[in-house]
Amino acid sequence: MAKKVLMKLNQVTRNYVMGEVTVQALRETSLFIYEGELLVILGPSGSGKSTLLNIIGGMDLPSSGLLCFGEEDLSRAGDSKLTQFRRCELGFVFQHYNLIPDLTARENVELAADLVDKPLPTEEVLTEVGLETRMDHFPSQLSGGEQQRVAIARAAVKSPRLLLCDEPTGALDYQTGKLILSLLAKINRERNSTVVIVTHNTPISAMGHRVVRMSSGNIVEITENQSPVSPERIEW
Amino acid sequence: MSVLTRKLWRTIRNTKGQFLAVVAVVMVGICVYISMSTAYYNMSRSQELFYEETNFADYYFHVIRAPLQIIRQIEAIPGVSKVTGRIQKDVPVLKDDQQRATARLISYPLPMENEVNRLYLLSGRLFEKYPQSGGVEILTDPQYAKANGLSFNSIVNIVAEGKQVPLTVVGAATSPEFVIAMKDAATLLPDPKTFGIIMLPQNQAEQILNFSGQINQVVVSLAPGADEKRIAEQIKNILEPYGNLGSYPRKDQLSHNVLQSEINNLRTLSRFMPAIFLGVAAAIQFVMLGRMVKAQRVEIGVMKALGYDSRQLMLHYTGYSLSVAFLGALLGTLTGISLASVLSQTYTIYFNLPETIGGINSKAILYGFMISMAVSLIAGLTASRGVVAINPAESMRPEPPRGTGKIIIERWTWLWRRLDATWKMSLRSVCRKWGRFAVTLMGVIFAVGLLVLSIFSNDSVNFMINQHFYKEQHYDFLVRFGTPVKEYELLNLARLDGVIRTEPLFDIPVKLHFNGRSEDDVLQGLPSELTLKELTGENGKPLYLPEEGILISQRTASKLGARVGDAVEVETLLGLGPSRYADVKITGINSQLVGSGSYIALAQANRILQESRLVSGAMLKVEPGKTGLLEEELNNMTNVSAISSPRKELDNLNQNLDSMLYTITIMIIFAALLGFAIVYNSSVISFAERKRELASLRVLGFTNGEVSGLLLKEILLQSLLGVALGLPFGRFMTEWYVRAVSTDLFTMPMVFSFQTYLISALGGIAFILAGHLMVVKGVKKLDLVDVLKNRD
Ligand SMILES: Nc1ncnc2c1ncn2[C@@H]1O[C@H](COP(=O)(O)OP(=O)(O)OP(=O)(O)O)[C@@H](O)[C@H]1O
Ligand SMILES: [Mg+2]
Repeated sequence: MAKKVLMKLNQVTRNYVMGEVTVQALRETSLFIYEGELLVILGPSGSGKSTLLNIIGGMDLPSSGLLCFGEEDLSRAGDSKLTQFRRCELGFVFQHYNLIPDLTARENVELAADLVDKPLPTEEVLTEVGLETRMDHFPSQLSGGEQQRVAIARAAVKSPRLLLCDEPTGALDYQTGKLILSLLAKINRERNSTVVIVTHNTPISAMGHRVVRMSSGNIVEITENQSPVSPERIEW
Repeated sequence: MSVLTRKLWRTIRNTKGQFLAVVAVVMVGICVYISMSTAYYNMSRSQELFYEETNFADYYFHVIRAPLQIIRQIEAIPGVSKVTGRIQKDVPVLKDDQQRATARLISYPLPMENEVNRLYLLSGRLFEKYPQSGGVEILTDPQYAKANGLSFNSIVNIVAEGKQVPLTVVGAATSPEFVIAMKDAATLLPDPKTFGIIMLPQNQAEQILNFSGQINQVVVSLAPGADEKRIAEQIKNILEPYGNLGSYPRKDQLSHNVLQSEINNLRTLSRFMPAIFLGVAAAIQFVMLGRMVKAQRVEIGVMKALGYDSRQLMLHYTGYSLSVAFLGALLGTLTGISLASVLSQTYTIYFNLPETIGGINSKAILYGFMISMAVSLIAGLTASRGVVAINPAESMRPEPPRGTGKIIIERWTWLWRRLDATWKMSLRSVCRKWGRFAVTLMGVIFAVGLLVLSIFSNDSVNFMINQHFYKEQHYDFLVRFGTPVKEYELLNLARLDGVIRTEPLFDIPVKLHFNGRSEDDVLQGLPSELTLKELTGENGKPLYLPEEGILISQRTASKLGARVGDAVEVETLLGLGPSRYADVKITGINSQLVGSGSYIALAQANRILQESRLVSGAMLKVEPGKTGLLEEELNNMTNVSAISSPRKELDNLNQNLDSMLYTITIMIIFAALLGFAIVYNSSVISFAERKRELASLRVLGFTNGEVSGLLLKEILLQSLLGVALGLPFGRFMTEWYVRAVSTDLFTMPMVFSFQTYLISALGGIAFILAGHLMVVKGVKKLDLVDVLKNRD
């Protein structure tokens, strides 16, 4: 199967300089992300997963190396180019939801929808994540799982080519976590978005098409998963 | 240093922008307080000392001519402590430069001890009764000496009793009566080039003015607690046979009135300006600390779990506001002391107060510190009382949900639906934090109000100038004669080269009686075909001279309680011939802004005096370019006692407006600082609180500009309302202020130009944007990864 490369990382590093000490959060890392795949990045705490994801998402710039989205070089992009990239191509889901407290579920989604030319219908997306009855509630009136579903809807409404999720189930219980993962898998399947999920939870990697293992700033292994498991059947 | 102190210090460092902004507001408050109250204290204290030392009169009585012995009779009245009889007369001065000036001659009995209204020698020596040289020795007021280049042994030539009399200057002196030397209330400012005080010994004045053994003025000081009104009546009865020309208490004495109104002004400002600034500073601190306690819930919980009690923690947060207060008061004191000395210098230029109390007013400094510390203490303790409610166990859990009720605007579904999500965000966040919203709103209202108040005085003075010099006076010169003349003699003036038109006038000092009350006034007779002067009625409407009837001055009318349609009794006090009485109906109220006076038709004035065609002066309209020559000719006419020229008065006035502009500038700076501080602080707070939210927006793909725009939207929602309300509030505050500083003689017209509102509004928007721009820098620096990493 000829896979199209969506994103290309070549020898990317990220150092944090703190006075005398330099922390190498990411050492020369190379990675291709293919269109339509579900990629799981796995690794223990402090291994550099979030650092990698943030660089992929244009929230942070590499200290060295090359980062390309399609044909576009993002490694030395300015702030406005990165903003444009996030605005048009990207969805982001965080461990801590990061919804706008002053906006209702519907309005949080609209907020993102307003940014792109052809968003999906807000209500359709919210129905898809199972919140058709809670659309006019504020984040403080929703449970953690419900808030995370709003966050997913907010990321999905732009129908982004790339959906990045940093520990999306980290703050949730087992059942709810599974529900969230199924939603992400569904989006990957039905909308053909590329989804990258960061987790330290090994069993979750069973759902990925490919699994990237990280350890102290290095990618130590990339495995292709011939038969991804649906999240409902994963146990941890 | 305890850990808490170190934490406090670090908090201050981390919030230094906000900290300094509040410090600046406190500083201005204390600076104004210290400088104004020091100036107030110094001025009123030196006024008091000076009045006491020179025995300033409590009551003035003018007569035509009375024997000197009459003062013994007055002194015998119980409650009268000392009476001085003297001669006072305005005479023309012939100056070397051919310009005309008026001198007010005032005689002093020698020796002067114990007399009322004694002199205070500023330079040179006291005049002698019989100098060896045989001439007449005089003292002048220092401004007149300076403006006319007089020094020891200079000669001043006056015209008295139709003769030129040379007088020898031996020094400069002042007295409580001319702390500020103004001719009359119609003059806006002293003009020392054209008006001065000449003091000379009683015996010399008697000779020069042909007043042997006689006086025309009685000044009285009363025993403490004496019944002023009753005694004044008794004295008037005694003086009745000698032509009672008028009497007034100290509070109506011109110099005292001006000085007192300035002192009152200082007192008002020294109270109300600091109240605004400290009040706003307290409000900002209240919001800042309230927010700090909220943001540090977890830390507070941890510290409580460690064993710190609520009181210690409250003191810790209050320490922040106390630091603000202390630093603000310290800087305010330093700037206040220097501003106080600038103020004192300005005042010494305007007022002859020799007993100037200078130096630092330690009481004001102490109060300044106490007030600012007390205000901050209260703000700090109230804001940090939230600490008590924090329970260590609960504080670790996420904050309870914020309000989820609908805000008002959501009821208008039609509008609400059309708003995009960022508007909804802004509106909800503004409405839900209405406490903070109210504080910002109030601060902006005060700041814009202060702008209106500052710029207003410019409007008011411009209006007065325009009204007085351009609208009411169309003549180039106003000439007054030493003694009244027949109207046809004005032909001598009309014939002069360049004179286009002459119109007569007749000034008659009168006493007006109504309903058992009496008031002194000057009645000016004017021709019915008046073109060189315009009379202004209430609301600025033009007023026309009736054939029969009086246009009474507003001040006299209100003192008498008389209205249009009432008939007042006119008693003439001209000084030549007997007093005449006539009942005249009031046909209008004269509301001119500068000076006051009542008007009557010239013909009727002559009828009342039982004279015909008598005039005491004339207004002249002159061809442009011929004024200089004409003035010289007028100066050479012997019967001319005074020449006034509106153009020169205006020049003199304009020269003195600098200090007003200076004051306005300072006030504007203060107001803008106030507005900036409050907008900046509330922006910083709302930015800090919402960093996470703003970062999420950035991640969603909002640009820096869009995020800053969102903040701007919020700050504008709050501040534009403040600007809109600040304009009427400024007007209201100005009205209150003008009422507080108005006196009988002086009031500022309540005129607000469109420009004032416009400049205030633009000024308001400018400081709002400045405050906002400081915060926009923070948006650019927002570290997305860092902000979104943790749950706060
Ligand atoms: N702002 C920073 N300054 C200094 N060091 C940092 C910073 N951010 C991350 N690091 C370091 O970089 C390394 C990788 O961090 P990263 O957040 O990518 O780990 P992670 O794999 O996401 O861990 P976790 O599973 O705990 O989220 C860590 O050692 C961390 O200490
Ligand atoms: Mg991480």
